[in-house]
Parts: sequence; structure tokens; C-alpha cells
Amino acid sequence: MKLSTIAFTMAHAALAGSAMSLIFEIDPILLGGLFAILTAFIMGPFSDYLRIPLDSASMTLFSIYNALTFIFLMMAPGPTLASEKVGQILWGSVLAITPTYLLILFTLTSIYVSILYVFWGRICSILFDPKLAEAEGVNVKRYTYLLTALAGIVIVFTLRITGGFLVFSLLFIPSASSLQISESLKKQILTSSIIGAMASIFGVSLSFSFNLPVGSCIVIGAAAIFLAAALLSALFRRRIVEAIPLEQR
Amino acid sequence: MSYAVEMREVSAYYFGEKKPAIIDVTLTIPINSLTLIVGPNGAGKTTLLETILGLLEPRRGNIRVLGHDIPREAAKIRKLCSYLPQDFMKPPGEPFSVKDVVAMGIASNREFGKLGNEDWKLVEEALTMLGIAELADRPIGRLSGGQQQKVMLARALVRKPKLLLLDEPFSALDEDSRRFISTSLLPKLIDSGCTVIMVSHDASFTPPRCDLTIRMEEGRIVGVVSHDLRSST
Repeated sequence: MKLSTIAFTMAHAALAGSAMSLIFEIDPILLGGLFAILTAFIMGPFSDYLRIPLDSASMTLFSIYNALTFIFLMMAPGPTLASEKVGQILWGSVLAITPTYLLILFTLTSIYVSILYVFWGRICSILFDPKLAEAEGVNVKRYTYLLTALAGIVIVFTLRITGGFLVFSLLFIPSASSLQISESLKKQILTSSIIGAMASIFGVSLSFSFNLPVGSCIVIGAAAIFLAAALLSALFRRRIVEAIPLEQR
Repeated sequence: MSYAVEMREVSAYYFGEKKPAIIDVTLTIPINSLTLIVGPNGAGKTTLLETILGLLEPRRGNIRVLGHDIPREAAKIRKLCSYLPQDFMKPPGEPFSVKDVVAMGIASNREFGKLGNEDWKLVEEALTMLGIAELADRPIGRLSGGQQQKVMLARALVRKPKLLLLDEPFSALDEDSRRFISTSLLPKLIDSGCTVIMVSHDASFTPPRCDLTIRMEEGRIVGVVSHDLRSST
């Protein structure tokens, strides 16, 4: 499964929905959420019905959502790309972080962890080889749609902090960093969560200190951690190779 | 029920293909037997296995596996089957250990996929049976082709299947491993109540215990040899 591509598309679906909310002057989370969740539910069947790879379907939808975002922003009342609301949708806002919001994120995390815990064996089987999992009687479609829908919901709520342009980076960079330093899937999930949290704390602090967009600051923090992880990984591997006698290499 | 698989005039197509991948296949495979399916590349051998499991829906004909209709009851029947695919190699970055991969075989047959202590013992037994217990904690992507193939075979066996479908199971194995699996492991499995269907493009290799040999060419069955009756069609 190309989960990163799917998350990328859903982030842009949420962005298009949020941009549309500017036209109707309603809470961006409503239409952003609707777009992301609808995408989560239609992308799988769309790909299955047309018999095209899921990543091809998701990249096509990504292009459509990009176009829609621009159209909706142009249609929004007031000076285009200049209002505070547009800024919040595209680049996130520190003001979005309220106790209620934190409670929502905590609840979502608990649901996500519970689902992973309960269905761990089958989810691993699908991630390892979806065709073999299906041959063994796992309902691959059901679990794929479930994971996609969960990713959609998480994206919608992350959108407020990071903004539509950067939400994918916050999802992707911590995972990419964890791949550099962890071998097992469990460790990768744990380390990517820790890296995401560290990047968020760094980003929010930087944003508060210098009055910069919070999303951009978080992504810069995450990217710095990724570079450090990649460097450490390369050094560690080189030392392992160098420890092997030349004749055994 | 005397047949593990019954197919009558089955034709199946891959999506978008005008030519059927298997054409008018009629065959019966007795339970507790080993059937060898041979034929050149592109003969339809893998497609036949996929059709038996309901992964590819037939456009024409009827299929019954272990007494159940396929594809209508495919989800139920797959839990009684194991499948060793032809393309099993994983890249070095694969984030699963050997024992994780074997345990995945059990997960589909447990409620919510949760494994208990007994299941982990079964995993250990399957790895020991194939002589790869010492690899249990190694990442699967760092193993050789032959070792990875044994891991996938352990995953198939740990499910204690009623029907075992093996697609080129010896392609990466050395001579000793081939001999052990074909002369010791598979006969024991059949005696314990399992039916084995094995695909091979290597016509020169026949397992010592082989009840039926089916030859396929261009999607059709062109020959069936029953080794008990020594008759051919």
C-alpha cells in the first residue's frame, strides 16, 4: 500500500475543503473534514472499480484537489490570498491550539492506538503482502478503507496547526526519519511519534518566540531531525562495514 | 466429500484481457493427495491456483473447494487454505522479523488477528521444522532467497491448512532442502489430512509421492496422469 501517497492526497482534499469553507464563511474543519473523509471512502472503491493502482488514483485526485483549492481561494470573498483566514488554512495557526483541540487530538490518538493494538496482526499482514493476506482470508479492502479513513480524520485535525501545505510534511518526515533509525514496524511507529512530538514542540516554541507560522516551524524542526537521523544512520552503517575485515566484505 | 477441488469448464480472465488466462478447465483433485501442475511459463499454472482461491473470479464454469462454492464462499474457504506465492522476495528494508512473518499466517484465523502464547509456540515449531529457528529474530529482507522461501513455507504450514497451494516452492532452495521437503515434510502433511497442489515449470522434478500430474499449456489442461492408476488422458 502506498499509504504516504494516500495521506498526501487526503491532506490536499482537506485543503480544498477548507478553501471552500472560505466561500461559505463556515468553520474550515467542517468542509475540510468532509472532503478528507469522503476521499478516504471513495479512493479505494474508485481504484478498485477502475482497476487502477491506488497510488495512480490518489495522485489524480491530488491534482484535482490542487486545482479546486486554487479555484475556491479565488472565489473567496475579500482580497485573494491576503486574509488571515486564508493564511490559517494554508500555513496553520498557533491560535488553533486550545485545550478542547488538545482533548480531540488525545481522543483521536487513543482510538488510533486501540485500533492498531486490536488489529495489529492483520494490519501487519496487509502491509507485508496484501495479496497473500487476501489469500489467507483477511478482508484487505475493509482494513485498507479503515486505515485510510483514520488517516483522513487525523489529517483534518492536524490541518489547523500546520495548514494544508505542510500537513503532509508533518505526517511524512517523522516516518521517513524513523525508517533511518529503526528496523521493526513497532519501533518505527514509536520513534516516528516521538519525532513528530519533538518537531511539534520545537516548531510551536519557535513560532511563539519569533511570531512565525507554526506549520512552517514544525516542518523545519522535523526536517532537521530527519537530516540528523539520516547522518547518524549513514555513520553507524559505515562503522559496521568498516568493522568487517576487508577479505570478508 | 471426496474431492478437495472440483472445477468444471472454468475459464478466467485477467482484467482488460481479451484472451482467457485459463480455458475450459475441468479437473478433480482428491483429498489427501499431492497434485503436481507442470507446464511452460505462461501456461496458466499460477492463474489456476489463484482461481481455486477465488483471487481471480471465473467468468464461466463452477468451482468447489473443500465442498464450498468459489468465489461465493471464498472468504470462508481461504481460512482453511495456505498459499505460497511465486514472488516472495522482500527488500532489505522490510520492517518485519522472520517470526513476525510466520505469525501473520495465524493472524487471519484468529479473532481480530490477536495471537496467544500457544500461537507463538506454533510459530517456533514451524521454524524448527524447516531448520530456520535461529533466524527467528532476523529481519526477513536480510535473508537469502532460499531462507526467505523457507520462511514463507513456514508461514503456510503454521496455519495447519486443509489445502496447501505451492507456487514454485523449490525455486530458491538447495538440493538438500528440496529433498527434505519433498520426501519427508510433504508426505507427512498429506498423511495428516492435507491436500497439496504444487506448481512447477521444472518437468524434470517430480516429488517421490505424487498422486496426480496435470500438464498445462496456453491456459488449457493438456494431460492428466494419475500415478495410482497409471492412466493418462
